[in-house]
Amino acid sequence: MFRLAIANLVQNKTRLLISVGGVALALTLVLFFRAVFDGAEGRLTVYIDRAGADVWVSQEGVRTMHMSESALPASVAEEVRAVPGVEEAVPILYTEGMIEANGSDYIVYLFGVPVGAPLGGPSLVSESAPEPQSGQIVIDHAVASEAGLGLGDQVTALGQQLTIAGLTSGTSSLVSSVSFVSMEDFAAVRGGGDVVSFVLVKIEQGESPAAISSRIAETVPGVTVQTSPEFASQERKLVKDMSADIITIMNTAGYLTGLAVVALTIYIATVGRRREYGVLKAMGVRNSRLYWIVLVQALLTVGIGLLAGLGLTLLLSAVIPSFNELIVLSVSMNSLVRVTAVSAIIACISALLPARQLAGLEPVAIIRRG
Amino acid sequence: MRGEGLSVDHVTKRFGSGDAEVVAVRDVSLEVAPGEVVLIMGPSGSGKTTLLLMLGALLKPTEGSIMLDCLELSALSEGKLPDVRLRHFGFIFQDFNLLSALNVQDNVSIAAELMGISRKEARKRAASLLTELGLGRRLRFSPEKLSGGEKQRVAIARALINDPALILADEPTANLDSSHGHETMRLLREIAKTRSRSVVIVSHDQRIRDIADRVLWLEDGQFKEAVIMAVDPVCGMAVEGRKAVSAEWDGVTFYFCSNGCRQEFLSSPAEFIESSAVTSKGLA
Repeated sequence: MFRLAIANLVQNKTRLLISVGGVALALTLVLFFRAVFDGAEGRLTVYIDRAGADVWVSQEGVRTMHMSESALPASVAEEVRAVPGVEEAVPILYTEGMIEANGSDYIVYLFGVPVGAPLGGPSLVSESAPEPQSGQIVIDHAVASEAGLGLGDQVTALGQQLTIAGLTSGTSSLVSSVSFVSMEDFAAVRGGGDVVSFVLVKIEQGESPAAISSRIAETVPGVTVQTSPEFASQERKLVKDMSADIITIMNTAGYLTGLAVVALTIYIATVGRRREYGVLKAMGVRNSRLYWIVLVQALLTVGIGLLAGLGLTLLLSAVIPSFNELIVLSVSMNSLVRVTAVSAIIACISALLPARQLAGLEPVAIIRRG
Repeated sequence: MRGEGLSVDHVTKRFGSGDAEVVAVRDVSLEVAPGEVVLIMGPSGSGKTTLLLMLGALLKPTEGSIMLDCLELSALSEGKLPDVRLRHFGFIFQDFNLLSALNVQDNVSIAAELMGISRKEARKRAASLLTELGLGRRLRFSPEKLSGGEKQRVAIARALINDPALILADEPTANLDSSHGHETMRLLREIAKTRSRSVVIVSHDQRIRDIADRVLWLEDGQFKEAVIMAVDPVCGMAVEGRKAVSAEWDGVTFYFCSNGCRQEFLSSPAEFIESSAVTSKGLA
């Protein structure tokens, strides 16, 4: 029966191609969108991951950088530094805003970092100064490239004309990028230097981030303390929650398209062989064996479509960033497992309608010139 | 040796009920011995196919019983019928009904595989059977590459591979030319005799009467005595010779269902004469 299922499937190669192609495109849509989202999500916490901090201190109740505002007295940095086990405590300023570069606006996560700070500064790929001094800015290489700018060119940020002093890599995504200015310039815009956004903490060797977090929380009043992984996790969760509906709609659209393509193809293929299935029933083949044929055809169609879709997505994730560095695609195992599971469900659902046709098929009607 | 063959005892099949009731087969009894070829003929709508479907355990009779080799088919539950059909019957259809996606050998071997025989053994049996039927060089062919006669031989091989007690053929020559039709029927007769199978054929084809051991005429759901029946050369209806309207032409007596057919015949006898001559020969 398996052989018959395969033979039926490959007999009409055009139909098979259309079916597999339809499934592949639908699943590519799902995988691609997921890969774009995962890629953007990976870049979302790039600053947190690269800042070099073991612990983040924010205003009490503030657990994320997005959709919240953290304001701490500048003196908190000193208080944190005094906690046993803390090696370094660096205050930074942060805001979400725009920079204007060569006539275009770009959304940025803008950080103000003290000159000479041992952590929290940019990882540069090219530079004219080791870190942004007053009147300077460090922007992402991809943004500079898209804007046609380089080192020494001017951009507008925080309402000031700033000179590009360095370029970073891997800090941009489809929606935003990371930029750095001097703490001095950032504080001037904010009207003084007595407020900071976060305090980044480097702990002494041999200490545990969780233990130091607890110690800071107990010692310094009015703050929320999180380890770096906790902070990054909160950040990702927030963005996931914000984009969950869009992702769900896109995934549903992709899955439904795939389902429609497979269901229609398998249904047409089954109806087209109605007479042959009727003859098999007359010969003594049970309905369950005929369902098996249809299910195998659906599973194979979806399976081949899934492989083709995966191949196409991997190809796109290799090719697209070379055309646009702002788009980063990341095909995760989690995403693959999810799409594979849903594809299997699609195949089973696709086989239901033809199975009903087969169940109702009377060999008598076929033999009577059906 | 095979068993006791087919025994049909006072079988009736009704469809619908009340005013809409149609009696397709009415109180039919029939015995077919192993090795016997029975041809059932009759006009369209006479109940031939309904009877064949009941003999093949595809329809249950409303009344009466059908026994095959001591197995009472009419008493079996629906759940058991597929296995019975697979093991005890070989079906041959008018349109061959081969599986277009499979090659000739696989079309035959699949029936054996369904019985639980290994693929290797099933293919071996299929190849042997097809070679016996003259298709040894066509094993890998797609059905669409075969002639009508070859397709029907593949269908016969498929019907035979599970060594069934009863072979049921529904209009097996309808889509074949005269030579292939005759060849097919000769083959069925040979199978019945050499393998001791019961063969029941339903057909309109007058050309195949010669190969049957018995010819039965079914009309209005009942068998009519063949010895006293004649076929109206105009409309094909079976008529009782002694009661029918008749006319003589060229020294032969022809029987008609009505004066209308008689007048139509007399207006142009040559148009009907060839088939009626064959019919008269067979029925007389």
